[in-house]
Amino acid sequence: MQEATFLILTALADGTQHGYGIISEVAKISGNRVRLRAGTLYTALDRLRSDGLIDVDREEVVDNRLRRYYRLTPTGTTRLAAEAERLQANATAALTRLNPSLGMI
Amino acid sequence: MSESAELERAYRRLVAFYPRSFRRENEEEIVTVLLATAPDGQRRPGIAESIDLIRGAARMRMSLSRTPHTVHNAVRLMYLGAVAELGVLIVLWLTEGSIRAAVAHQYPMLTAAQMGQLNTVFTVDLAVGAAVVPLWLLMAWWNSRGSQVARLAAIVCFAFCTTGMITDAVTGSPQFAPAAFTAAGVVWLIGLAAIVNLLRKQSVAYYQRQAAL
Repeated sequence: MQEATFLILTALADGTQHGYGIISEVAKISGNRVRLRAGTLYTALDRLRSDGLIDVDREEVVDNRLRRYYRLTPTGTTRLAAEAERLQANATAALTRLNPSLGMI
Repeated sequence: MSESAELERAYRRLVAFYPRSFRRENEEEIVTVLLATAPDGQRRPGIAESIDLIRGAARMRMSLSRTPHTVHNAVRLMYLGAVAELGVLIVLWLTEGSIRAAVAHQYPMLTAAQMGQLNTVFTVDLAVGAAVVPLWLLMAWWNSRGSQVARLAAIVCFAFCTTGMITDAVTGSPQFAPAAFTAAGVVWLIGLAAIVNLLRKQSVAYYQRQAAL
């Protein structure tokens, strides 16, 4: 799973978000390291929708502008959890191996 | 024209690179997000965001035109169907003598003229079989191009194939021509597998996307 995909799914993990909200959340989660552009975001959202990982929750019109809210599907939740566990296991393995050498410095 | 209206028009020109089906559903929303993320006073899209939009549109067009494995499977099965149909013709031709003998044995009272009518039946069967081989090839080629009409045509052809199998079954083919009937059954199963692949969710979505491109 690409980092942008992982971050988008993470942005939706605790509730629905609209497009601009996802961009803000992803920036927040990544400590402003990842700033999604609209083209990247909507290409990813379209793919995630066709893969069944996210779905449209509702639509609102605010100041004559459309806001579409997205949510994680149960499949998306499962995939995100599996990916988070995989990343955590990798990170733990890396830190475990690094610790002895770090201790020698 | 105000700055924001000018910027919005420029964004819409970039979003126009996306496939029509995507724009129909997402254009208003994506323009909203583009305007929301644009710094105050911006009059035209930046180079980086223009590249991002054009790249996104190119990726989406490429992924939309990518044929899913279910359609590949269906097309391969249709080519296999053409070969199997040729097999049915060969079996029918090779077993003609035993079919005649089986009919004569079952109906000893048949006159020579009535037995002669079997020739017509064989000729029609061979002619239909010979026409169905190129039909399989046509369906394979046409469906590989993502045509919705081709998909519907394949379903109609399979319906005719099924009707033919039922007719053969009730008119005694399994008894008089077991080898040819079995071979035709194999063809029917190949057709069924092809249609199942064409009706899979990925295939349906692919044909819809191709129609909307």
